Amino acid sequence: MTDMIEKGKGPTSTPEEREFELRAQIGSIWSGGRLFIGMYTFLLASEVFSYFYLRSSNNGMLWRLPHQHAPIAYGWAVFIAMSLTALLAMYGQRQLKKGSVVDFQVAGWTGVTTGLIALIVQIWQLTKLSFFPGSSGYASTYMGFVVMNIASIVIGTYWLETTLARSLRLRKELGGENPELSMDPMAQLFRANVASMAYFWGFLAIGGVLFTAMFYVM
Amino acid sequence: MTISAERPIEVVTPSATPPAYGRSWTQRPGWMSQHLGTAIVAAILGYAIGHWFGNYLASGYSFVANSGQNSIADALALTFGVVGWLLGIGALNYPLAKLIGRDGAKEETVDNWTKYFRYSLDHKVVGLQYVVGVLLFMFTGGLLAMAIRTELLNPTTHVFSADTYIKIVSEHGTVMMMMATSIIVGPLGNYLVPLMIGARRMAFPRIEALSFWIFVAGYMVIFSALPYGGFPTGWTGYAPLQTQAGPGMISYLLGFAVIGIGMMAAGFNIAVSIINYRAPGMTWSRLPIFVWSILATAALLTLATPVLFAGGLFGVLDKTVQTAFYVTEHGGSSYLWQNLFWFFGHPEVYIMALPGFGIVGEILPVFTRKPLFAYKVAAAGMIGVALLSFFVWQHHLFQSGINPDMRPLFMLTTELISIPTGFIFLVGMGTLYKAKIRFEVPMLFAMALFFNFLIGGVTGVFLSDVPVNVTVHGGFFVLSHFHYTIMGGLLFAFMAGLYYWLPKMTGRMMNSRIGKWHFWTMFIFFNLTFFPMFIIGLLGQPRRVYTYAPRLQGLNDFSSISAFLLGVSFLIFFANLMWSMWISPVKAPANPWDSLGLEWQTANPVPSYNFERIPVIMTDPYRYSEADAPAFADMGDGAGRSSSTTAGSSQA
Amino acid sequence: MATENAQNEPNHLRRMTTAWVIISVIADVLFWVFVGPHVPPGHMTETAINNQRTFNVLLVIALPVLIGVWIYLGYAIVVWGSKRNSVDSIGGESARTNRKAQTSWIVVTSVVVLILAGYGSYAVIAEHGSGGGEGPNPVWTPSGAAQAQTAALAGTQNWSPGSKNVLPVQVIGQQWKFTYRYPTFGGFETTQLILPVNTEIAFNVTSLDVIHSFWAYQLSVKADANPQVNDVAYTETKQMGNFVVRCSELCGIWHGSMYNYGKVVSQSDFMNWATTTEAANAANTKLLPPFAWTYVPDANGASGGYYPDGKQTPYSTVELYGSKTPAS
Repeated sequence: MTDMIEKGKGPTSTPEEREFELRAQIGSIWSGGRLFIGMYTFLLASEVFSYFYLRSSNNGMLWRLPHQHAPIAYGWAVFIAMSLTALLAMYGQRQLKKGSVVDFQVAGWTGVTTGLIALIVQIWQLTKLSFFPGSSGYASTYMGFVVMNIASIVIGTYWLETTLARSLRLRKELGGENPELSMDPMAQLFRANVASMAYFWGFLAIGGVLFTAMFYVM
Repeated sequence: MTISAERPIEVVTPSATPPAYGRSWTQRPGWMSQHLGTAIVAAILGYAIGHWFGNYLASGYSFVANSGQNSIADALALTFGVVGWLLGIGALNYPLAKLIGRDGAKEETVDNWTKYFRYSLDHKVVGLQYVVGVLLFMFTGGLLAMAIRTELLNPTTHVFSADTYIKIVSEHGTVMMMMATSIIVGPLGNYLVPLMIGARRMAFPRIEALSFWIFVAGYMVIFSALPYGGFPTGWTGYAPLQTQAGPGMISYLLGFAVIGIGMMAAGFNIAVSIINYRAPGMTWSRLPIFVWSILATAALLTLATPVLFAGGLFGVLDKTVQTAFYVTEHGGSSYLWQNLFWFFGHPEVYIMALPGFGIVGEILPVFTRKPLFAYKVAAAGMIGVALLSFFVWQHHLFQSGINPDMRPLFMLTTELISIPTGFIFLVGMGTLYKAKIRFEVPMLFAMALFFNFLIGGVTGVFLSDVPVNVTVHGGFFVLSHFHYTIMGGLLFAFMAGLYYWLPKMTGRMMNSRIGKWHFWTMFIFFNLTFFPMFIIGLLGQPRRVYTYAPRLQGLNDFSSISAFLLGVSFLIFFANLMWSMWISPVKAPANPWDSLGLEWQTANPVPSYNFERIPVIMTDPYRYSEADAPAFADMGDGAGRSSSTTAGSSQA
Repeated sequence: MATENAQNEPNHLRRMTTAWVIISVIADVLFWVFVGPHVPPGHMTETAINNQRTFNVLLVIALPVLIGVWIYLGYAIVVWGSKRNSVDSIGGESARTNRKAQTSWIVVTSVVVLILAGYGSYAVIAEHGSGGGEGPNPVWTPSGAAQAQTAALAGTQNWSPGSKNVLPVQVIGQQWKFTYRYPTFGGFETTQLILPVNTEIAFNVTSLDVIHSFWAYQLSVKADANPQVNDVAYTETKQMGNFVVRCSELCGIWHGSMYNYGKVVSQSDFMNWATTTEAANAANTKLLPPFAWTYVPDANGASGGYYPDGKQTPYSTVELYGSKTPAS
């Protein structure tokens, strides 16, 4: 969230203008986070649509072979790790709001760890597949789901990690005790970013429930 | 989030440290600077690495060894090539730096001509980059169109083999569709939206720059199809032909996915900017109509494109890891692609129509000296079109055997969409009523849109009618219909926009004499090219054929010759561009069309921060007919206003 | 549009309306009388007649719309255009909105659109899908359609001259030609499409490879040929004569060459042709896979075997692949 106004050449912003632009930036993070979720919803919805379309078409009686399952234990492990990350991200954001930066950081770094675990297990699961990707509609949509889930984990964990790294650097740049909670523009932007990130993780968790139900339960 | 002009701003005093403007952490020596050259080198390296990696991974698999075709290597090579391109241009510096908490930083800024070859965060530079980018797309696509019409001169003597012809047709369609999604949002949207809403910047300048550079990457990926042997599916890429096709298909699927990322990025940034960066006083009912149209388009870009992206991803998976999404025999469905593709594809059609309406709505009041008629209806129409466009996709599939019982429903939704589309005619005709029309070149193009789009729209109603669709589906009638809407609507609007705003963007006037030649040749030969195609289609010629019934040769030749002359018209445009921009530039007055629009009130050339003071919007736009109308915006201490010569007279 | 008139100004709207009414009526009448009867797809079948009529109705509605806008634009250019591009920064009329004009515009377009949608829906339903492909389970069928499909699967002859039964014909698209099977005549397969006149035909369209589209132009029948899908379309032949069949969905390199000609002949001629061809082809027909709605190569595609689309999985993938990934 940077500004492009060049040093020395730019106009001298009045306090009102600075305030206005700060509000616009915070608003952009807020609405950008929501719009990104909307965008991501359409992406995941394509996968859900494909799943149910192929399931109801059942072409060649090949929606799913008998006893065909993606490795269930791995799947649940990914789901649990992702949900944990989501919970930690949201918990951290709530604690940050309440004023506990340490809680935010501990929860956040734990979340990054669980996110990375989810990523590794999700990739590792691919080596344990008991079916050929093209053997059925289920197998195909499963591959699509795995690719999207990897993308979700990477995006979510990346976002979480950047907020934590940002928090550390803010301490260096702003100094003082708990600069994350100050009224400094950078701190305000930081908090808006954390809120959008936590919101996105909440969204991913809901998606995770849906996909786990689709691929490991149903 | 806006602060209204009336409400006093509550000032929260920021901390003693100045805001994060201009903290630079990328102080690098000159030889490390990144530009188009480093991007090309990195892309080539990435391509090579990806290809090697794909071969390393997959050459042992029997389906690779037996077929002698390693789709995995092709796909990875192109993917790594795109990633290398982005690394090389510097698009990934910021996301990577964020991992170590860098923020509030800025990339090196270069303030000479080389900024046009760099990852620029200035929306005005991106806009001009886009102008060149889409023109490049358009001319290559246009050359392919010339090749198509050459082949269709004679039903029995062939210039190209059937194989080459189908590749040309496919490439033409795909390139033009990709170009058309960005042709207005890219150049004019990026350049003008911040100026029109009174903002000093875009909300996410990096995402904006990414959208352009990935657009260029998409151009290269889709053209890589030709050395890969092309693809035979047309721009629609229907499976199972898609599954059957050779490695060129990978370029198609990845090309759409890559361009899709660019479309999402562009739409995302613009939508967020419009929502948050409107100047104080710029309420929703004071937004220029062009911004409304871009907002509706941006919403479609962000929400519809992910579906295309997913469809392309599934296609690539089918091609590489041998899934069976689109293979009916293996539990997939060829209908799945059709549904995903058109669920994106129909909103896309409106992505290509709405910005045109916006430009016309912006230009008409200026050249009629009247307020825009029924402004709210126009805005509502655009939003209505955007919403409805998600519910019409199966009208592309009326004869496909999918959901026959839904046909009346999709016929209804499709015909309903003509109501909000018709609003633009209400607006246009109302604005022309008792006007004082000046026939400058932009106005000519704008009025031509009404002529062309009317034909395109009315034939759309024919196509939406299932009984008539039986005859016209999949034929030249459809082809003519969408050329009338996209080329006759969007491209004419784009030309209107270029003639109208290039003086602002470059400070140079387009030559109006050559411009009129360009307009009249383009208008006449466009109609002479495509109108006969309605008849050709009704007489039974399917699309994408290299040969046809000999009795249709007369009409086809007429169409071909007109198409060549239409090509000449584009050469006239190109000559005008060269002449007016480089060879013999004429300095543009600050406000050549005597417009009240905010974008004309800034200094010329526009400083990188756009506005000396953030303007405060005082009133409605388009108060052209009132002699004593208040100024549209309070520009603070008058910067920009002072340099405008003609605007004062109408505003005083 | 805005209707306030200055005292000495001519009544623009009245002028335009007069011109519009006169020209529209003339254009509509000219079209309906002189062009309409020759509009494709002609009169060869029931659906062709109906679809031609729909086209003509739409055009009669569309012409006044086109003419109205054109007259308005032309009038505006002539009357309100300034001749010399004089920059006169203050314009005329300041109407931003006009409730009457807006409301009437919205009401008129909505009514026209709803009427069109209603008429179109009626036409589709009343004409059994208007000759368009209705998928494997058609919802709008002529009477006797179900019986024809049963007869097709059973291979029993259900049609004879004068019987008024529905004749099932199978269209098989393949790269790059159409072949036709007559299931009720022993299931012989030919490259010629011969149909009896005054007969309701059920086209069962399918494909062996990619998506084609069976477009019998003069019959006004169009149905996509999808692999694994039986796309059914109906029409009733009304006139004897030749017609052309084209593929109208891009299907690969030789898509442009994928056409042939068909014939509608008298019922007795058709009966003769069908029975003689059935007898002449009997030996070949035996080698063909039994008649089915769709045909698919077997799992490996190599043995060239076909199986009828049935109720069970044609091959056991569990057997083929076991519970493990196949060696690759």
